[in-house]
Amino acid sequence: MSLTVLQSGTQTLIMDAGRPGYRHQGIPGGGAADRLSFAIANHLVGNKWDTPALECALGGLHIRFETDHLIALSGAQMWSQNQGLNLPLNKAVRVDAGDILTMSFTRAGCRAYLAIAGGVTAKPFMGSVSTYLPAKLGGLDGEALKTGNTLHIGEVQGEANSLPKGHTPILSNHVVLRAQRGPEWDALSDSAKRYLFTTPFYATAATDRMGSRLKGDQITLGSPVKMTSSPLLPGSLQIPPDGQPILTLADGHCTGGYARALQVIQADLWLLGQIAPGAAVSFRRSLSEDAAEILRAKNSFYADLIPGFSF
Amino acid sequence: MSPTVGQPKITPYGDHAILVDWEVEGFSDAVNDLVHELSANLRASGKYIEVVPGYDSLVCVFDLAERSADSVKRHIEDHLVRDVSQTSNAGKMIDIPVHYGGEFGPDMERICDASKLSADKVIAKHSSETYRVCMMGFIPGFTFLSPAPKALHHPRLPTPRAKVPAGSIGIANWQTGIYGLESPGGWQIIGRTPLSIFEASRQPLFLLNAGDRVRFIPQ
Repeated sequence: MSLTVLQSGTQTLIMDAGRPGYRHQGIPGGGAADRLSFAIANHLVGNKWDTPALECALGGLHIRFETDHLIALSGAQMWSQNQGLNLPLNKAVRVDAGDILTMSFTRAGCRAYLAIAGGVTAKPFMGSVSTYLPAKLGGLDGEALKTGNTLHIGEVQGEANSLPKGHTPILSNHVVLRAQRGPEWDALSDSAKRYLFTTPFYATAATDRMGSRLKGDQITLGSPVKMTSSPLLPGSLQIPPDGQPILTLADGHCTGGYARALQVIQADLWLLGQIAPGAAVSFRRSLSEDAAEILRAKNSFYADLIPGFSF
Repeated sequence: MSPTVGQPKITPYGDHAILVDWEVEGFSDAVNDLVHELSANLRASGKYIEVVPGYDSLVCVFDLAERSADSVKRHIEDHLVRDVSQTSNAGKMIDIPVHYGGEFGPDMERICDASKLSADKVIAKHSSETYRVCMMGFIPGFTFLSPAPKALHHPRLPTPRAKVPAGSIGIANWQTGIYGLESPGGWQIIGRTPLSIFEASRQPLFLLNAGDRVRFIPQ
């Protein structure tokens, strides 16, 4: 019950639902950056939604299955093939021992999730196998997959499932995030307050699991903010003095010292994992009275389908 | 005698977190005590995904599907400690060897220029204090300490560096602290310690904890 990594890809990481609860010690919750696509891939192969799977950023992964498996791909659209045949997204597929799966470049989104019935096995750290590269935690010795690695697969948990029509997340290279005002919103200049919700930004090459430096209209502060370091969350948009915003992502810093201008709503946090370098990123204003209803609707949409999953 | 401390502002931080923020000019030992006391109370309630204390603020992350911002706000108000008279944990005293300046402190020159002090004077001032560990965070092992001597205060870099080595010791406004791991960062770096503040394969994982005291020993 194993597979071999023939080519590691841009960045392929073992992920589960993460290790929330340790931010006060500087350890981010991390886990699958796009929680929804990760859960769907697991569900399709009959795994519990939070079973360890592979998070494949920007393609390039080649693997050989050493035994027969049931697999599913979800998340970013990539040209993916098994034995030269195109692999569909969001569908459980049987692969045979000796089959070679290849992922080439990404067409939309940033991260594809490859779930294998039974799940990938790895040693947990603080309750999670999720790889956290900055501190080399989880995964295989805290590192991304390397060419030549062997991954062991656990016991099959259940039968294959299918995804009903309309439940497929739609990803694009323009990521629209609903957000509310952050704690230092009032420090923004009037023009900055307008720009944030009206103009698109672009994710620069400085985009990884920790954060994304955005480029766009200069976001100026009305008055300089001399902040004492204060807690920071995934989905927070910080404005440093140079006016180019930084969006905090799944492995982002636990505290920060720049003005927190916006906070992405809970229901849209999964989309943070699909921001590829070069993607357009826009923010839409979410009113506080609407956010709970948006979340309730999204949770109930998937609750019956994927037991235990919530945004 | 307990110092008087104002009431914090309790405001939403997006739709799934609440920020508790004390109005403090610079740094207040008393407020930091209150932050850690509230943090311990909220954590013990088991209701929250994360309870993250800062110097003079605290963020409580909840699941919006389970609770409303209003109910969390009320819960925080109920658990707010108003009396500063409780004794703060004295913690351990730990000596941190530091190589100041040169390749280990790329921003030393800037601090010297701004303070009009020689590097030796900056080192003498920075290592003359006994600091308190006010919070851990940012990244595993990042140690936020009580204020640096006033002459050394300096704003963060306008654009953060992509990589700051583990063990780097920096200044950001009045704050001073230690990078536990290599990471991006915007603090003015004046030195580096060879000690490892966070080590995943070690027990305890963290060399320092909030409440400890540290001294810097120039090498």
